[in-house]
Amino acid sequence: MVGLGILFWVFMFAVSSRVLGYFQSVEVIGDLLAHHLLAMVLLIFFSLLVFSHIITALSNLYLSTDLELCHSSPADLDELFLSRFIYTIADSSWMVIIFGLPVMMAYAYVYRPGPGYYVALFHLGFALIVVAAGIGVLFTMLLVNIFPAQRTRDIIMLLSIFLIVALYLMFRFLRPERLVDPDAFFSAMQYISALKAPDTPYLPSHWVTETLWKYLRGLKGEGTLLNVMLVWSSAVAIMVINMWTARAIYFAGFSKSQEARKRRGGRRLLDALTTLAKKPLGDDLASIIDKEIRAFFRDNTQWSQLLLLGALVVVYLYNFSVLPLDKSPIRIEFLQNEIAFLNMGLAGFVLSAVSVRFIYPAVSSEGKAFWILRSSPLSAKRFLWGKYALYMPPMLLLSGVLIIATNRLLQVTPLMMFVCSATMFMAVFGIVAMGIGFGALYPNFGYQNIAQVSTSFGGLMYMIFTAIFLAIIIGLEAGPVYVIFMAQAKGSSIALWKWFLIIPSFIGVVILNCVAVYKPMKMGTEAIEEYE
Amino acid sequence: MIELLNLTKRYRDFTAVDHISLEVPQGALFGFLGPNGAGKTTTLKMMAGVLKPTSGRIIINGMDLSRQPSEVKRCIGFIPDRPFLYEKLSGNEFLQFIAGLYRMNHAPYLGKRIVELLEIFELSHWADELIESYSHGMKQRLVMCAALLHKPKVLIVDEPMVGLDPKAARLVKDIFKDQAENGTTVFMSTHSLEVAQEVCQEIAIIQAGRIIASGTPDNLREKAGVATGNLEKVFLKLTEGKTGIDEKSLSSS
Repeated sequence: MVGLGILFWVFMFAVSSRVLGYFQSVEVIGDLLAHHLLAMVLLIFFSLLVFSHIITALSNLYLSTDLELCHSSPADLDELFLSRFIYTIADSSWMVIIFGLPVMMAYAYVYRPGPGYYVALFHLGFALIVVAAGIGVLFTMLLVNIFPAQRTRDIIMLLSIFLIVALYLMFRFLRPERLVDPDAFFSAMQYISALKAPDTPYLPSHWVTETLWKYLRGLKGEGTLLNVMLVWSSAVAIMVINMWTARAIYFAGFSKSQEARKRRGGRRLLDALTTLAKKPLGDDLASIIDKEIRAFFRDNTQWSQLLLLGALVVVYLYNFSVLPLDKSPIRIEFLQNEIAFLNMGLAGFVLSAVSVRFIYPAVSSEGKAFWILRSSPLSAKRFLWGKYALYMPPMLLLSGVLIIATNRLLQVTPLMMFVCSATMFMAVFGIVAMGIGFGALYPNFGYQNIAQVSTSFGGLMYMIFTAIFLAIIIGLEAGPVYVIFMAQAKGSSIALWKWFLIIPSFIGVVILNCVAVYKPMKMGTEAIEEYE
Repeated sequence: MIELLNLTKRYRDFTAVDHISLEVPQGALFGFLGPNGAGKTTTLKMMAGVLKPTSGRIIINGMDLSRQPSEVKRCIGFIPDRPFLYEKLSGNEFLQFIAGLYRMNHAPYLGKRIVELLEIFELSHWADELIESYSHGMKQRLVMCAALLHKPKVLIVDEPMVGLDPKAARLVKDIFKDQAENGTTVFMSTHSLEVAQEVCQEIAIIQAGRIIASGTPDNLREKAGVATGNLEKVFLKLTEGKTGIDEKSLSSS
């Protein structure tokens, strides 16, 4: 892991240096670009720090299990709050520092500033972190006094998901690829004007940017001292405000956070959803499905990921709608169908990624309550097939969207539409079965956080096997599909001997899918039966 | 009703349960005593089908658990020592879920049965609240509701009094006695001698994975050579000099 971190650090430094080196070579606007980039980077890091502190403060100040012991001790409330505040800073900032340092060092490498830059980077970086921490902690304290801490965590988590989704969609719809497309370039003056537009002058990140920029360019100016004073006075002020606020409301908020969560509404909606889902199944499987749906939609950390998934699908489809097919030297009808065929691999990868997040942990999600199923008359086989029945419909729907919608956007031939749809339809059966099977082979009922299950060794094995599965399917179909497609395009018939290759290939795909369903489910069943 | 035949459970070099054989008739309230780490929970988990024995057989209601696991489990209600439940379900939903597992969802008496059990265990007020807001004792009582929902012929109970207040403990003892009188076999593990003395008709004492004594309380007194006195004296006498005994684990409350 350390090696990976060092590698990543070196990579970030190399890329940043490269970009900055390139900017230096660009006349007139090179420095503007570098300055703008610095401002953007520091603004992003500042925002991330604030956000990170909000989440960490909630945990460290209100939800941590050792807080009961701390509050029952004779420690002064100020001391307790301050210690937790410092701990929150350390907890929240280390990742931003690790990501940010190579970029800052790249600036130093390219611009060769004096020692003043490093001193300023160190103390202003610290002050910026304190300001971000202060804002984050203050926001958390105020929010917890309005909502209970458990609810606050849900709200923050949902807001963050919405924010990420909005930013992701916004970034994609801005079409940044136009910046490297000469045809999309607007006038140079407009471009320079955009670069020169200042960022918000009232944010601490702006003051730090201006100070560091002056050191990088070796410029001496009156503004430097003012900016430094602004950053530090903000840091001190926010600390004082936090201490005052903590004295007034922290303990009341902590006490409130001990309250049990009240059951929320939406029960009728869940009842309707579960009735629909379990209709065709036996009582025992219906109960499993009912329980899964309720637990899923009552856990904000789970269902909110559907928002991210939705954004992913939207951007996936949007990418296909803006493909510059008309600029390609290859004939469009060939290109479209080629892309559609290869899209199966991409869609399959997306389905696997979704599956490793939602389906692979399905068995482990029983958690320590697994004893209920073990001691019940429900057999391991029916248990796993119940899970399978639950996850098949949404995965089929997702695959339909990814393949049929994209193929319609590409305007592929009916043959290609049929091949791609049928192939993915069959592949979903295997992908889901492998998810359930591997999840049963590598269960983790004692997880602290369900996300740990997806990122485990078993999850990795699952991804590898699904990649191999999809690669074999595409490999088996590539030849036959090409032959049939070319024959259709040329209006000629297919030689008899070629059918002796085509038919076995497709039969091979069907057999592979059957094996991909049967084998993992069987192995998973045996693993669960033997599990202790 | 319950027969354990040379039941053994081995974990690599460690033998948790060592060739134990027991017979428990129908309608008996059977106590399974032993200090911590004696093998009580392991034995009960094997009987409930949660753990697979290394060797030996478990016959419940005339059926072999290894050959007919679903049929046997249909007759059993299991109450573990630690009530891990599905936190995102309400009490009511959890019992509906259990009813589904035992294929009772379409039984006409189900609704009434759930209401009745929740009332008995004083959980009616909390029936529609999520389990994550329940205290430990409430969770324990909900598990008992679930175990009794399908009217099992055998109740396997592991340390039922843990986390219960005196009122709840009294209620649970009365329920077990009532079940036994109505023909349900109750197989209960406890390290509380007082509870065993109060409710159990027959007792087996396990230590280091082996049964060291079994019988009625009078039988055990005779074996221990203790004419009078409570079960604590009997227990200490029977287990004295044996490895693994931990006198502090003998609870009189």
